[in-house]
Amino acid sequence: MPQVDAPDSFRHQLLAAIPRLRRYARSLVFDAAPADDLVQSTLERALSHWHQFDQRRDMVLWLLSIAHNAFLDGRRRDARLQVLDPQQIEAHQDAHSADPGVDVGLRIDLRAALARLSPEQREPLLLVSVEQLSYAECAEALGIPIGTVMSRVSRARASLREWLEGRGRPDKLRTLRRVV
Amino acid sequence: MDRQQPDDEQLSAWLDGELDDVTRRDIESWLHEHPDDAARVRLWAADRETLRARFDPVLDEAVPEALQRAVLEGGRSPVHTRWRFAAAAAGLLVGGALIGGGVVWQVAPQRDMAAARGSWTQRAAVAHAVFAPEVRHPVEVNVAEGQPEQQRAQEEHLARWLTKRLDMPVRLFDLRSQGYALVGGRLLSDAQGPSAQLMYQNTGGQRITVYLRRPEPGTSTSFRYQREGDLGMFYWAEEGYGCALVGKLPREQLLALAEAAYRQVEPDLTGGRVRPAS
Repeated sequence: MPQVDAPDSFRHQLLAAIPRLRRYARSLVFDAAPADDLVQSTLERALSHWHQFDQRRDMVLWLLSIAHNAFLDGRRRDARLQVLDPQQIEAHQDAHSADPGVDVGLRIDLRAALARLSPEQREPLLLVSVEQLSYAECAEALGIPIGTVMSRVSRARASLREWLEGRGRPDKLRTLRRVV
Repeated sequence: MDRQQPDDEQLSAWLDGELDDVTRRDIESWLHEHPDDAARVRLWAADRETLRARFDPVLDEAVPEALQRAVLEGGRSPVHTRWRFAAAAAGLLVGGALIGGGVVWQVAPQRDMAAARGSWTQRAAVAHAVFAPEVRHPVEVNVAEGQPEQQRAQEEHLARWLTKRLDMPVRLFDLRSQGYALVGGRLLSDAQGPSAQLMYQNTGGQRITVYLRRPEPGTSTSFRYQREGDLGMFYWAEEGYGCALVGKLPREQLLALAEAAYRQVEPDLTGGRVRPAS
């Protein structure tokens, strides 16, 4: 066969990177099952393009970049990988508010606030804050200029704060989402 | 001279350590004189910590078998696939050595005895794989910065802090005779409780890590060696004290480092405690 399988050393590198990929996927899509679907499609793409990986580069950065593309493709194509939209979040919160036994504290707040950020803002914020990438690395992973990373991270922080402080309004947000 | 008011982008970039020295100092003076802006940036920093705390535990979760299969089996010609996967699993069970830089341990049954004994060494390997390449935040408490007396104060703080949090005597090994200086340490946590990582670096930038945690009761192993790919590990566990030294080094070099570490900690372990005859 002309196509050569990915070597075992490459597969071991991939295995070692799975925890990092799972953390990023979870921060992007929240629920474990769709997050692992995203990780799986990332790993599959990496395996089929293994010969494109330059061993002098950072494997995790390469994989995060693939995960970013898989995430965008998934959003376009596959309803299973959907990110919770604001209406869903509100329904989710209302459901939980009705049940006094459930903690509707910070966990839900943070998740709701994150979900309300557009993916364009959320990805740079998570890559810089949680994955601790530099702006240059983040720019490389997302394929955007460094200055764009800087402004999106800053705007994401401000929006997140607004939501956590309860200043954001759902009606305003829906309008904004159209614009984004 | 009036400083120009920094915009949110600059404040945010300052928080991320992305500014050149001059701008950074300007922003710092500005924040010093403008408590409202400083408070805002502190809130962003707190949000960043909340985000990390929310998602970092994912690193400790067992990797689902489906994902490991995807990596081990994916993109192979079908004839070889099943055989290879079986061979990988069998190799693990026979060897009983379930470690690696985040490698294939979950292939074996999770409740397997070897897996239970190996669990904390797996975490040591994962922690190494995650933090050793870290350029900007390799450690939580840095003991390599500042004047010598500041460094000593940080070292004392780190040892006391980790001793308290891990509930075991933490000594910061001195590996300078082997060419490795202490960079600092961090506290880690997972579902099984707290652990810690010390990081050392030589002048060539090569890093090794020491993973410390109180092992599960009844766990006791003599000095052992495991290797997966280019990552090697020496570890030992005694009642109430577990230590693993991890690095991408040849076995002999790693052994010399591990022996140096073991000699330094041995008096703590034997003091007041009867060592099992070996």
